[in-house]
This record gives sequence, structure tokens and C-alpha cells, in this order.
Amino acid sequence: MQGIDRPNRVLVTGLGVVSPLGANTKANLLSLLSGQDGVGPVGSFDVTKTRCKTAGQIPDEWLENAFPPGRVAKRLHRGARMASLALREACESAKGAKPELMVVGTTGGGMSYGEFFYRHLLAGQSRKNSAQLVGNYTPQKPIQDALERNGLRIPTQILSNACSSGSNAIGHGFELVKHGLRHCVVCGGYEPLCELVFVGFDSLQAATPERIRPFDKMRTGLVLGEGAAFLILESEKSVAQRGAVAMAEVTGYGVSTDTYHLTQPDPSGIGPKLAMQRALVSAKVEAEAIDYVNAHGTATVFNDATEGVAISDLCGEVAVSSTKSMMGHALGAAGAIEAAFCVLALREQFLPPNINFNEPDPSWKFVVIANTSRSARLSHVLSNSIGFGGTNATLIVKQV
Amino acid sequence: MTFSIQGIGAVTPLGSNGAETWSALCRGEQATRTPFAKPLAGRHYFSCPVPAKFIAAAARQPRLRRSGTISLLGAAAGFDALADAGWSPDHGSSDRTAVVFAVCSSGINYTRRFYHEIVTQGAHSASPLLFPETVYNAAASHVAALLGVNGQSYTLVGDSSVGLGAIHFATELLTMQPQLDCCLVVGTEEADWLLADAFASWRMATTQDQFEVYGRAGGTIFGEGAAAILLGRSGTLAVANSSAGLPFHSYRNSESAAREMFGHLPAEGIPEIIVSSANGTFADEVERKVFSEFYPAVPVYAPKSSLGEALGASALLQVAVAGWALRHQKLPGTLGAGPKLQSVNRQTRSCSASQALVTAVGFNHQVNALNLRLAESPY
Repeated sequence: MQGIDRPNRVLVTGLGVVSPLGANTKANLLSLLSGQDGVGPVGSFDVTKTRCKTAGQIPDEWLENAFPPGRVAKRLHRGARMASLALREACESAKGAKPELMVVGTTGGGMSYGEFFYRHLLAGQSRKNSAQLVGNYTPQKPIQDALERNGLRIPTQILSNACSSGSNAIGHGFELVKHGLRHCVVCGGYEPLCELVFVGFDSLQAATPERIRPFDKMRTGLVLGEGAAFLILESEKSVAQRGAVAMAEVTGYGVSTDTYHLTQPDPSGIGPKLAMQRALVSAKVEAEAIDYVNAHGTATVFNDATEGVAISDLCGEVAVSSTKSMMGHALGAAGAIEAAFCVLALREQFLPPNINFNEPDPSWKFVVIANTSRSARLSHVLSNSIGFGGTNATLIVKQV
Repeated sequence: MTFSIQGIGAVTPLGSNGAETWSALCRGEQATRTPFAKPLAGRHYFSCPVPAKFIAAAARQPRLRRSGTISLLGAAAGFDALADAGWSPDHGSSDRTAVVFAVCSSGINYTRRFYHEIVTQGAHSASPLLFPETVYNAAASHVAALLGVNGQSYTLVGDSSVGLGAIHFATELLTMQPQLDCCLVVGTEEADWLLADAFASWRMATTQDQFEVYGRAGGTIFGEGAAAILLGRSGTLAVANSSAGLPFHSYRNSESAAREMFGHLPAEGIPEIIVSSANGTFADEVERKVFSEFYPAVPVYAPKSSLGEALGASALLQVAVAGWALRHQKLPGTLGAGPKLQSVNRQTRSCSASQALVTAVGFNHQVNALNLRLAESPY
């Protein structure tokens, strides 16, 4: 394995997104511009005994065309449908890119099939569907299905770094292309909603029975979401050789591990701050160059306090929003979806809104893009992800 | 750019550390097969558990007092690898060391317990103490914290081949980031009845207390444990080739994927020993065909019939075994070897080898392989 002396520029040439805000990139863009609320009552499992009863969910009908109808398609996990649609859109928009590797983030994979399997067992039901459920629950299987559906047979790296998984996947893909180990990588994340994780956040009292209000002084917690997003990252040379058009440039990636606690960040903000600082060094820009921060912004008291300190200390009065306010927290896919939103913000020159926002928290200097999107001149944008286990990841994306 | 294994560690059903495990394998010991407690639906399976005393020291760490077995195993193996390398963590190296974990089902005991509470007692009764330990990266997070790593910590998820992918991932980090001195790569997995029953639905787990490799593919027995390697920039045991692996979309394609991975891997000649992933499932036949074609005379050792199938840990255990074999110039005998592969090594014997091939055919459609090369004699 040999790197190169002069780093490559890493260009985004393809983009695909499926989220509660839309079944494709265009629909997501329109929802971001209009400040759409994609959160609604949970329909796929019982929430009568949980405090939180809402989530950002993708309607099943949006996923119907992911695979050709038939017996095999019926068995596949809806995570495979999300991933397949987002991957198809990314590949089509990249117009002929030839990815050599896929790097994917997720936290739950096809977990809901594992839940069905266990419920069947406890209920003493027939094992008729066991093989189907077991065969499709692992995090890698939906990705295998999505690759096969899209005619790709490439190595895959599945990263599960909790809520920073999607950003880690894009960051690793970025590093591989930057250092010349790969010319073209498809990277992103997928995350279908499942009961176990939903109840998990509810049990920690991190989920709210109210609306999700990131960075609001009266914030009460997160709601979960789901979705998939993939970016095609290519070296400048590869883009030039095939005459492709770049949508944006990924310029920086930084990570840190906050060892304070498994589920709580160090209140000093050192975890996200270190990741942001390392990303700025990687991108060779000063914090003042950042025009917009797409924050992790889960709306939990702890997360926003920690991240708020870090952003405030480092970037001062920068424009900030958490698009989780519109679609919930898609965990392992969140970083990928939010990176895709950053590309859209750069292309369309707007600031995505932070909806449900009422009252600013006076502890921070930054400007929350409250409730409605705004036009803005954007050159560099930064996206944060913060996860259980103290995983922090930051990406910097630049206009081309 | 070539990287080297500087330390090897393990905790397995046969030993509380790498040295004990290696000795037991060479003596031809087989891990005790114990029936899982509390089977559901009257279905009984055996496993090869790690004795609790083997991870007692790890469990005394304050950070790990509530953590699941998978984290204790990972920590025990990780620290064994560091000790083997003569490495002691210091705060000056907090961003110069990366942690990469390989897991398959991860904290399945806590996950099952947590979901059981949801189903039987209602979501409002589910324990907030269990949930955090169900996340895939819990073990990596704990080990990073224990080592004082504030930089890179990654968890890769996959099937029983994921350990080889994790080593490749670590080589990528070391290639791209000159500030990194080393990378601790850990594969860890815990056994659970649920896992065995799930695999049985695909006829990949047996209800018997024995299984055959390279014979009748009647299913495997699950083990548990962890293996760790400290990968650095110098040393006598080089990772000569590694890969992110290859997928196969159906069983029909598995042989061609394995041929592509195993057959064309060695850059500097034919391997002198092979440490295989044979586990009594379809994977054995895939490996057998490719070995017979490319390496008909190379002795093959399959450790899973001694240790059980430890999924996320198993490929790293294979790498550990290959490393020990090259260090000690000895190859253990494969227990329970069936008649189908002529080149399987059946008795522990001395060997003169400087190159080893480690192969993995995963249950979830991934194949991978890597080469280890002894740069010079350690003696």
C-alpha cells in the first residue's frame, strides 16, 4: 500500500438521499428550503408505553420501487430499500463513476428483523420465516442487497461508530481518495428505525415527548429518524479524465474520541472541539472561513450544551442549524444525510433552517437559523457528528 | 508501505492469554463444549465459553464494571497484545495510537436481555443501564478510554471475515497518517444461545457437541473470545498483503470470489502454511476447492474445531495463530478434520515457514485473506 506525496483534491460527483424529508435529493432540497417538518407519530411498532411517540419516518410507498417486485424483494429489509434507492441516485447523478470501494455507516442495520425473530421465538411461533429474518438482519446484508441491485461488486467497509458512523464513513472515503489509495469511493450511511433503539433512547430519557428543538433554551430531547445517503467521492484526476462535473469538494475531516463516559460527552466540549480543530487543519482553513455549521444538534440537554460550547468557542458568531429538527436523528445515517444537505446548501447557496426554535440559549455566540431557510453566500461549511462511546467526527465541504 | 505485527494477544476458551492459548492448541486440546443455559423452544446447542476467571482482571477496571462480556474480552486481549509488544500506554501517545475493533453480533447478551425486557415487561421497564452496552462500538470505546486514546477509534462490523478487513483498515490509517505510531486491532465476540439458534435456521449451527471440518458440513459450534494485534511500522512479522475483502452475492459466486482473494494474494511466492476459517459449514467446501487448486501441498490448519466459531473475533484469532506459528516454527494439528482436504495438517509438528496465508469465508457473503511474512528469524 503506497500513498502519494501530494494530496488529491476530493470532489463530490454523485449524491443520493432518501429521508423523511423526501425520496430523492430534489425532494429533500425542497423540504429544506421550505422548513418541512418530517416528524410524525410512530407507526411501525407499539409506542403506548414510551414517553416519546414520534419519529421521522420514510413512508413505505417511497421505497416500493427499490427492487423489482417478487418473492426475493419481499424478504429484503427496508434498510436495503433505502440504501438501494440512495445508492442508485448517487450512481446515476455521478454519470458513469466507477467506485472501487464502499464505506458505509450504520448503527442498527436490519435490527427490526432480529426483533421479529426474537418475538417469534418467545411466542413459540413456527420457524417458517426464521431463515429470512436472520439472513437479513445483519448490518452488512442490506448493503450487499443494495450493491447487487445496482450492479456493483466492490469491497465494503461497514463502520459502526454510533451516531458519527455516517461522517466517519465519508471521512474515511475522503482520506482514501485524498491520499491516493483509491480514485473513487462511494460512501455514506443508512439507518432504518427500529423498536430496540427507539426504546433505548426513551429509557435513557434522551427522547422527548415534545417537538425536537435543537439549541433552544427549553429543549427537551431528541426524536429519532431514519434514512440513507451516499456520496460519490472522486479524485480530481478521475473527474477530469471522464469529464464529470463536481458538485462540491470535501476538504477536511477530523475525529476525536471523548473518553469521559459511554453515553455522556465531556461538558467542556473538548470532544467535538478537537474533531472540529482537526478538520480545520485537514482542510487548511481557519475557523473564520466557515460560513455555516450543520450541527449534530440532537436537542438533548447534554449534547447541545457540549457542542454549543465547542462551536461557540471555535467559530464565534457563525450560522448554525440542526436539520434533525426537521427529520429526527437518523443515527448511523445522520452524518451522511447531513453531509448531503451541506452539499445542497453550497450548491443552492442557502442556510437550512432549525425548525421548532423559540428561545435562544444565551450561553452561545452563534446564530441559529431559526425556523425558515435563508439565502446566503456559502464557501465553506462544516458538519458535526457526535456519538455514544465518545466518537466525534467533523467534515468540511467547500463550494466548487 | 508494509506494516508489522508488534504484539499478539488473545483470550479464548483455552487460555487467558495468547501464550496459554497457543500452548493448548499445540497440545491438541479442544475447548470444553457446554450446553447453553435457558434454551427456548426446547432447542439445545453447545458452545465453547471463556471461563469467567480469564476475564476477571478486566472486570476489575472501574470503567468496565457494568460492561458486557464482549468488552471484557476485548480489553483482556488488547492488553495482552500490548504486553506482548512490551508497550505501555502513556498520555503522550494519546493521538498517536488508533483503536480498530472488529465485531459481528457484538453485545448480544445485553441486546437480548434489553429486548426481552421490552417484550415481556413493556418498553417503560427496559433498563437504561443495558442499552448503552448494546451499541456496536461500546467495546472499542471502553478500550480507547482505558488506553487514553483521544484520536481515532473505529468499529467495523461484518461476518466472520471482518477481522481481516479490520487489519486492512488499520493499514489504511497507518498509510494515510504518518503521525500514527501504531494501531491496536481487536476482534471480539461473545456467545449466546440466540446466535446459535439463528445460525441453525440456516443449517450453519449443529445441535451436536462435535463438528467436523472439511467433512460433512453439519454446522458449527459457537465459541467466544477475543484476539488482538498491535500493528506498527516496524517488526519481524510483516502483513505482506491485506484487503478490504470481496463480496459474493450468492453461494454460486463464493468460489470465484475465494479464488480471486486466495489465489492471487501472495506477492512473493507460495505460502508455506495456511490458517483457514473452516468451521463445519459451506465455507469449508469453498476453501477446499481453492486450496486444492492453488496450494495442494501447503499444510492447512483450521483452529475453529478447537476454539469454536467466534465470528467477529475468529479471523483475528486466525491471524494470531498464524503469527504464533511463524514465530515458533510450529503448526498445530487440526482436530476433527474430515476426509475431504488432503493437505489438512492433522498432527502438531515443526515447520520451516516464513510465509502464512490466512483465509476467511464469511457466512454473510464476504471473503478475505491476508499474508503474513517473517522478515527474519526471531531467534
